[in-house]
Amino acid sequence: MKRIIKLGIVLFFVITCTTGCWNLTEPDELAFITAAGMDAAPDGRIEISSQIAVPSAIDVQQNQSSIGKSFLVVSAMGKNVMDAGRTMQGKLSRSLFYEHRQAIIFGQSMAQRGVGDMLDMFVRNPKSEIRSTVAVVKDGTAKDLLNIKPKFDPFSGLAILRVQSSVGSTPYFYRHFLSDALNEGMTPLVPAFHIVGKNEFACVGAAMLDNTADLKLKGFLNAEQSFLAYWMIGRQSTISVTSVVDRDGGLATIRLGSLKSRIRVILTDSGKPAIEVRLSGGGSVIENNSNLDPSKGPDRRIIEQKLSDSTRQKVEQLIDQVQHQYKTDVFGFGDHIHRRYPQRWKTLKRDWDQSFSKLPVSVQVTLHVKDPGQSNSAMKRFI
Amino acid sequence: MNRRGKSNASNDNRPPVQETDAFDLEPSQPISFDLDENERTFQDLFRHCSDIVFRDLEVQGRTKLLIMFTDGMVNSDILQSAVLKPLLYEGLPQGLGMIDSIAEMCGRELMSILQVKKSSDVFEIADLILRGHTAFLADGENEALLADVSSFETRSIEESTNEATLRGARESFTELLRTNTTLLRRIIVTPKLKLEAYRVGKLTNTEVVVAYIEGSVAEPVLKEVRDRVRRIRLEGVLESGYIEEAIEDTNYSPFPQMMSSERPDAVAAGLLEGKVAILTNGTPNALIVPMTFWDGLQAPDDYFERFMYVTLNRWIRYAFAIFSVLFPSIYIALTSFHPEMVPPKLMLSISALREKSPFPTVIEVFIMEFMFEGLREAGIRLPKQIGPLVSIVGALVIGQAAVQAGIISAPIVIVVSAAGISSFVIPRYRFGIPLRMLRFPLLILTGMFGLFGIALGLITILVHLIHLKPFGTAYLSPVTPIMFGRIKKVFVRFPHKRAMKANPIREGDSP
Repeated sequence: MKRIIKLGIVLFFVITCTTGCWNLTEPDELAFITAAGMDAAPDGRIEISSQIAVPSAIDVQQNQSSIGKSFLVVSAMGKNVMDAGRTMQGKLSRSLFYEHRQAIIFGQSMAQRGVGDMLDMFVRNPKSEIRSTVAVVKDGTAKDLLNIKPKFDPFSGLAILRVQSSVGSTPYFYRHFLSDALNEGMTPLVPAFHIVGKNEFACVGAAMLDNTADLKLKGFLNAEQSFLAYWMIGRQSTISVTSVVDRDGGLATIRLGSLKSRIRVILTDSGKPAIEVRLSGGGSVIENNSNLDPSKGPDRRIIEQKLSDSTRQKVEQLIDQVQHQYKTDVFGFGDHIHRRYPQRWKTLKRDWDQSFSKLPVSVQVTLHVKDPGQSNSAMKRFI
Repeated sequence: MNRRGKSNASNDNRPPVQETDAFDLEPSQPISFDLDENERTFQDLFRHCSDIVFRDLEVQGRTKLLIMFTDGMVNSDILQSAVLKPLLYEGLPQGLGMIDSIAEMCGRELMSILQVKKSSDVFEIADLILRGHTAFLADGENEALLADVSSFETRSIEESTNEATLRGARESFTELLRTNTTLLRRIIVTPKLKLEAYRVGKLTNTEVVVAYIEGSVAEPVLKEVRDRVRRIRLEGVLESGYIEEAIEDTNYSPFPQMMSSERPDAVAAGLLEGKVAILTNGTPNALIVPMTFWDGLQAPDDYFERFMYVTLNRWIRYAFAIFSVLFPSIYIALTSFHPEMVPPKLMLSISALREKSPFPTVIEVFIMEFMFEGLREAGIRLPKQIGPLVSIVGALVIGQAAVQAGIISAPIVIVVSAAGISSFVIPRYRFGIPLRMLRFPLLILTGMFGLFGIALGLITILVHLIHLKPFGTAYLSPVTPIMFGRIKKVFVRFPHKRAMKANPIREGDSP
């Protein structure tokens, strides 16, 4: 018995010393990819750009902006993502590490070509991080966006993720994007960014990628429209609404917190479905340039009424535009019909874009002023 | 490592138990009636023992007495005033011829010594002389009288340096067994506190006392303790550690199987819980048997402070105990094997700090651990004034200098120091030792296999702990095997009032 134990120990050490440490990779052998960008290249190929963090330039004790860029961008062309990746690896002395990738960015050219073909790698590759956010660059290439050094964060990959939260939306992860893209009843709405000047970027709304046509870019919504659209889909957590509230053109702004959206499908008399959209929200008045006093009951009701009306008009305009100009269902009406009347959906879904544009939609917006703010009437009254 | 934790006390290879309590002697030799022959015997026995004093006395010209004692162990004042003066000046009392035994008469009439004993065995007399008794041999008697006039220098009762507490008594045991048993008696004032005396060690003849409270103690444990103490066959027993190693179930476990304490209140608490204590002459450390894993993580003053603070403290201790074993291994496993598990910003900071370091992570951790252990060990032996200073300052300065020179990366210093300091949170020093020792095999396993290595190591340790059964008590009880009533007490220390509700004292209960 003892001999077996001794033999076992010896064998154990032999095994570990001859085959051991095969999984051990030091952090300085890895190139951490923080963002990936995809652009269209000639001949049907794609150009992949990777934003790679350079750790030695991140001096944790000093201010980051004083050093310069803490990342570098490497690009390569290839037939698909991993093909380009192989070419890219030849340019780097460290092996690419995808698991910390924060953002996947599609350039406009790529979006116009259609990104559907390239979706697979992000899911299938075991080393790929599926919790990256997705974005589209409007009028620009992903490579240029990746080269921008943001003001606060070390990498633009991270900044893109955080800009979405700071404007009040919930960050759009690749996981959601995939499930929206595979959903026959809706079209994914991807946040869009625009490169301003030489060194800045801004969130300019959302891009509609048509999932019946290989996820080709159908159009853009501007910022305000995109917030309203997100509100309807349930991806927005706060929004500020401004409108004229009194006869003299005075404005009031309310910051809405608890946003709710209820979409109901009802059948009209002819048996066709119609949509009822009910949006509601409550919040506090943050700016008041009107003659009204939000701390008084009647005035407050007028403010609520005016704000709700103007929001409703904007939403109706948005739905109108999307239905007739773009003809893609970004709001998920098809999905709701599918849930409520699955039998009907089976016939409707074949030509959904056409049916969608003829769908009657009614909108109801109820806003509630919960808190008039720290003061009562507007300051201008005292001047 | 004996993973099965088999106890030494398996029935097949036990030596037979002796009947007597006393240590093995050569067969006893009686003293003779002739004083000169006795004197020669003892001179022979104590040849070259320069501190044994032989004093011949002639009492009133007729009776010859031989007094033997060890110089330095007897109280010369008492000896002179209570023994020699009466014998020499006053002499034997009236009616001498009718008295049978000089020794007996001395004992009853003349000597105002409290403890006297009679013996006719040479070796027993020699043993008692060496313990500070004074032997009186009379011509024509074959019995000697031994009077206990011992007094020697011992350390006074001081505050315990190794087991400091915020609250509670500050007396700690000293090297003299009698002082220690006195301290115990003063805490548990009941005849049910039994102190059984044994002698262990062939050459040292060390007195050992097994203490327990009759009625509270677990009988199987007591029986086992008695058996094992009787079976000790060592040449010298210098410290309770010898006894501990001789009677513990398995020597090959990093975890101690009995607690040792310098504090009488800790020992008393153990006795009240039904445990057995072993006190050894010559050392202040008492052994408390049996011990569970959770006892090792308790401080003596856990029961003195209020329960909320104590419970919180206990949770912190458990967390730090786990931390001290696992932290360096987790650091290696996460940064080298699974960087995807670390949040991105942290990973980039760590890799930024690791850029300059030339060694792989595992080697770095080993180097720092080694240095830390070396510094800690050095700090113990240095004189009191500079010891702690050197170890702390040394660790910081060396760590800082190494980081700036680019030899070691900063996270390693943090990790190793944090793990080292968290092992000091464990109140009993000897329980922090196995956790520190286990850190190294875990490091090796992690360096080879990553998180899988940590899992392997932890499973091995757990299996070992589960199989460890010192004196029949499972080491991890009451968690494993689960005892639903007691398991709550591991995690929360309930207030004493609750114990009152559980055991109401009824009228007529004996003390």
